[in-house]
Amino acid sequence: MSAVASSARATPAIGWRDVALAVAPLVLALVVAAIVLAVAGHNPLEVYWLLLKESFGGVKRIAATVSASTPLILTGLATAVAFRSGVFNVGVEGCVLVGGLAAAFVGFTYVGLPATLLLPLALGAAALAGTLWMLVPAVLKARLDVDEVVTTLMLNFIAVSLTAWLVNGPLLAPGSANSATPMVVEAARLPRLMPPSTLNAGFLIAIALLGLYWLWGRGTALGLETRLAGLNPRFAIASGINVPMLIIKMMLLSGAIGGLAGGIQALGTVNRFVVGFSPGYGFTGIAVALLGRGSAIGILLAALLFGALATSGATIQLFSDVPIEIVNILQGTVMIFAVARFGWLLKNRQGGK
Amino acid sequence: MKTTSMALATMVLASALGTASGHAEDKPVALIVSQGGLGDQSYNDLAHSGFLRALKETGLEGRAVESKEVVSQATEILRRASDADFGLIVDLEYAHGEPMLEVAKDYPDTKYVILNQVREGANIASVLFQEQEGSYLAGTLAALVTTDTSIKGINDKPVIGVIGGTKSAGIDKFISGYVEGAKAANPNVVVKIAYSNNFGDPAIGLQMAKAMIEEGADVIYHVAGGTGMGVIQAAKEAGVYAIGVDIDQDGIAPGNVLTSMVKHSDNAVETVVKDYAADKFPGGKTITLGLKENGVGLSDMKFTKQLIPASILEKVEAAKQGILSGQIKVWNVVDQGYPDFLK
Repeated sequence: MSAVASSARATPAIGWRDVALAVAPLVLALVVAAIVLAVAGHNPLEVYWLLLKESFGGVKRIAATVSASTPLILTGLATAVAFRSGVFNVGVEGCVLVGGLAAAFVGFTYVGLPATLLLPLALGAAALAGTLWMLVPAVLKARLDVDEVVTTLMLNFIAVSLTAWLVNGPLLAPGSANSATPMVVEAARLPRLMPPSTLNAGFLIAIALLGLYWLWGRGTALGLETRLAGLNPRFAIASGINVPMLIIKMMLLSGAIGGLAGGIQALGTVNRFVVGFSPGYGFTGIAVALLGRGSAIGILLAALLFGALATSGATIQLFSDVPIEIVNILQGTVMIFAVARFGWLLKNRQGGK
Repeated sequence: MKTTSMALATMVLASALGTASGHAEDKPVALIVSQGGLGDQSYNDLAHSGFLRALKETGLEGRAVESKEVVSQATEILRRASDADFGLIVDLEYAHGEPMLEVAKDYPDTKYVILNQVREGANIASVLFQEQEGSYLAGTLAALVTTDTSIKGINDKPVIGVIGGTKSAGIDKFISGYVEGAKAANPNVVVKIAYSNNFGDPAIGLQMAKAMIEEGADVIYHVAGGTGMGVIQAAKEAGVYAIGVDIDQDGIAPGNVLTSMVKHSDNAVETVVKDYAADKFPGGKTITLGLKENGVGLSDMKFTKQLIPASILEKVEAAKQGILSGQIKVWNVVDQGYPDFLK
């Protein structure tokens, strides 16, 4: 048992090899995108320099990058939590949507409540909505071994349509020709950390959860059990671990964090639910979890990377003729090379069956 | 450990670089593209073409900004453009109304333009379209066509329809104009009104339009975004007519889209950029672009003109002249509330 535990999570010192392996997808993506840029008639170095300046050049830009990373930290974490128990949950996007709408609903409905009550209530509603959203695929996976990739992916489409219908009808802001809920009241908004940047207390929540995830992974029995179940379910069952129950717990937790990501986005940044609310945070979260190799620090760095690409990708257009498509290509290639790590996870999945 | 120190080093290095800013005599212009991005063959592309025309004529520098995260990064993008010394920021994204209010306060020397809504601020210009005027002409045409059974596909019932995306003043502005125009052309025409409560579902549009067609409607106007694609589809299947909205949709089902009520967002953007260049920026004002300003109007009817008797087209033209001369004042639901003929 202790031998397995140490091999599962021991070596605290990160070797050069690990760093190289983690950075390789990024370097490869930069090279590929550089070729695309050069072919399109841009100087890759100039573009990269501009991207760097627009994402980390100055306090305001760093704040913007961190703000854009906040939802990605949470969706990356939500995905990683499920991965850890061997569940490939691709339904975090749906949780972001239902969580965001739930938080916004509480935020514009219970307007009489003080911030100390309303804010936790709204965030709680977001986490609850995300949890419930994962309930059916979790039970199906744990009890009937229904493939979670299919169920959670399909649930995303339902979440998109359901939330779109709700903000188009019952929850539409009165008089709005746009599909949007009313704005949440001031008391339901997460405080900003560095006004006027949109960076808000949601980032602190995300970091706190990352910290808990780190502690949980190394220090608790549940963390170890989860890891074992993810690495080798048959061995875990033989060791007396209730694997189906564990899978349900982890998927619900994943849903709760995904819902919270949406709630923080609704209460911290957008201040309402509106069509276009999530540009695919749940899906980028998968890349974040894979690129970060499931570790807390890895998720943080990967989220910062994608957040930086999102902010700088928008604003470099103010200073150059680089179209947004080039940034999308860069982001896409990072994702592809990040997923290349996926072979390692799949092997574990199959090995366990 | 090494990863963190490397990241830290990069951050320190990067923060030492500071921000870039360019200075020019005439400050450049930014266009924030709305969700859907450029290449949507619709609102964004149309507005962008006006933007490019204005840049060419004024010699100003300008850039368009697109982002998948245009909604969540609203204030960040607006602030960055303001910080980077852009003199004018034209915003096409509807969800940027509130963020613009917040940002514009902090940059009194920067000018902002928002479309399709009114935002208060000395440095904000709001652009509204007189959609009711274009819709009036659409209603006039529809009423005249539905009572002329010599036209292909027209039945003997004087019934026309309109499908709105949601019950709101912004949408009823179109609908009331349509009804008013129809009643003015022929008081006996019945206008069926329905709301799809959805802007993005062609299936609902198809269903609702079919129901209307069964009740005898042979011209149906849609004010329902993507849902309207189903309305056009239903008209095509039944061999009757739909009326498009926002952009020229005549080509979607050639011959079955009678006309389109076009909002010329290109002219709107072109006008404000030129005003800005000429130092006549209408800060704090609401610009309303109607028929007279070429802000709204019917499409050229490339595929249907030959189907319609000249006498009908002349009457529509007469109605247009009536509005232009001020003889006809079309009811504006947003400014005046609901008229009697709309309950």
